[in-house]
Amino acid sequence: MKFKLRLTWDTSILALLATVWIAASLTTDNFLSSINVSQIFSNTSEITIMAFGVIFLIITGEIDLSVASTLALGSSMLGWSYAHGAPIWLAILICIAVGTLCGFINGFLVTKVGLGSLAVTIGTLALYRGIANGVLGKNTINEFPDFWTGFGFDTIGTSFIPQSLPVIILFGIGFGLLLHNTPFGRRTLAIGQSPEAARFAGINVIKHKIIVFTFTGFMSGIAGVLYTFRFSTAQADNGIGLELLVISACLLGGVSIFGGIGTMWGVIAGVLLAGSVESWLTLREINAQWRTIVTGILLLISVAAPVLINKAKAAKAKAANKS
Amino acid sequence: MNFLSRLKPRSREGSLGIILVITVGVTGLINPRFLTGDGTRDLFTSTAVVALLAIGMAPIIIMRHIDLSVASTVGLTAWFIADLCAKHPDFTWVQCFIIGPMIGMVVGILNGLLVAGLRLPSLVVTLGTLYIVRGAVYVISNSVDYNAQEMPPSLLDLGQKVFFGIMPFTFLLVIFAMLVTAWFMKYRKAGRDCYAIGSNPHAADLVGIKVFRRTFLAYVFSGAMAGLAGVFYLMRFAQVDSTAFYGQELAVVAAAVIGGVTIAGGSGTTIGATIGALLVQTIQGGLAAIGVDAFWKSAINGFLLIVAIYADRTLARKSESALLAQRIKERA
Repeated sequence: MKFKLRLTWDTSILALLATVWIAASLTTDNFLSSINVSQIFSNTSEITIMAFGVIFLIITGEIDLSVASTLALGSSMLGWSYAHGAPIWLAILICIAVGTLCGFINGFLVTKVGLGSLAVTIGTLALYRGIANGVLGKNTINEFPDFWTGFGFDTIGTSFIPQSLPVIILFGIGFGLLLHNTPFGRRTLAIGQSPEAARFAGINVIKHKIIVFTFTGFMSGIAGVLYTFRFSTAQADNGIGLELLVISACLLGGVSIFGGIGTMWGVIAGVLLAGSVESWLTLREINAQWRTIVTGILLLISVAAPVLINKAKAAKAKAANKS
Repeated sequence: MNFLSRLKPRSREGSLGIILVITVGVTGLINPRFLTGDGTRDLFTSTAVVALLAIGMAPIIIMRHIDLSVASTVGLTAWFIADLCAKHPDFTWVQCFIIGPMIGMVVGILNGLLVAGLRLPSLVVTLGTLYIVRGAVYVISNSVDYNAQEMPPSLLDLGQKVFFGIMPFTFLLVIFAMLVTAWFMKYRKAGRDCYAIGSNPHAADLVGIKVFRRTFLAYVFSGAMAGLAGVFYLMRFAQVDSTAFYGQELAVVAAAVIGGVTIAGGSGTTIGATIGALLVQTIQGGLAAIGVDAFWKSAINGFLLIVAIYADRTLARKSESALLAQRIKERA
């Protein structure tokens, strides 16, 4: 099999990631130190997990802005049920179940009721976080068993690998295979390219979208468990604003906002790129506030670059035609 | 029956107005203070900022775009003006009212160039500028806050000014902006173009509507309104820090959508958007009056928004099938 390097956005993002790593390790002393790499991985863990679900949604041409609120609701229910005497395994299951249910509600409203996913998930963004607020109020719960907080925070033995990393890698491989090597993944891409055509080709678009929404919720539930244990706190404003980071990571990774295009490695590179730039800025002791600006600029580049490249290509083709 | 059908509101705004009156009435029954002059004035004062932003956002949503950067722009303008006033003690409200919209327009021009010029998806672009503008506030503010002492007394006085005992100056301006934009959107060619663009962007382009110019100007207008809203923010709260109005962009979208400005584009009015903003505020005031915890506020907002889009969808389907039936009848 010949490996052909396509010059698309998701391959160039890998090059960009490499550039950032080289530049960062040249300009700082300890960027590639084990502790810092470990930090990058664990700081981006929830975003990565949610992005695994959201990438499928964006590829089908939908969007979910409620993932971070789902995370918060799951996390709050975890804390609430644990504080009310539920065993920790049950509390974790409740968190994941709540997340799955939230995702299903989104999917139901979008597909069966036929409302636009942007508007619906803006609504559920407020709704889910509001319920979390209503349940927990200003309370926070931060007494959890050591084993589980260790899972969120500690590394394996004395190595630099966070304990949660193997789980994320497993999910990454699983979802990567699902997207790129199964009929399910092909159907996802087909729906994104043209929902009409996909329907005529015999794909049950409604069912497919509900499934994708539901497992995005499921992944947000898992991210909720991880977030709760990593910070050892369950409160209503957990993960506030993360939804925009998740979406910007996906778009950075070359997923088209119009649907139909996207790769798993691109998204992972996108998440790591955002995480690495942030860590680089922190190590250079650049004012933390600049990070917000950098996120915004990266996001703009991620949408503008493909368009500009296409325009340049078109202009070139036109010039070639003329001569 | 005949009488009842004559009473039935013809427009979306009419039915929303009736819902608003009913909500105000019910809230007033539960908590009589709500219907007094003070209560009404509070309602208007607290709605002014969101209502103004919703008016600015309405043309954009009508064109099937969105502007998520408004809340950051409010923060930027409010902080910047407070900073200028602190450095130039001779500033009065006049300078604030001129500089505010100008700062907002800069953000609007940036959005407009990216969305209309490069034809990038507005959701992503304005998400990006949301971050960039808020980041700019963080960086330039350097954690400096401003309080009432640093602000021009004439501006704060104007913020306190109330006409007829119930109508604050800020909301009077909101009503003025609402009427002017509603007239413009309904009777001017440029306004009608917005609806055409939102109904079918491609067709609008083919029939020769200046899509770039209209989209660009809509973003500049929204930016200017956000700038003015920043001035309103100062007039209302008389203090500002770098997180002012953080995360309120979705509340603005919600107000417009609840007011009948469809997110799919092509329909809605600025009057509806204003009523939507008032309705959200009234319902929250009403729920607070019957003793619902303030923590549920966001949940209620979200729920209202979903109900509003659902109602919108059902009404659209109904009118669609009615139109279809009419056409079939005409053919026969």
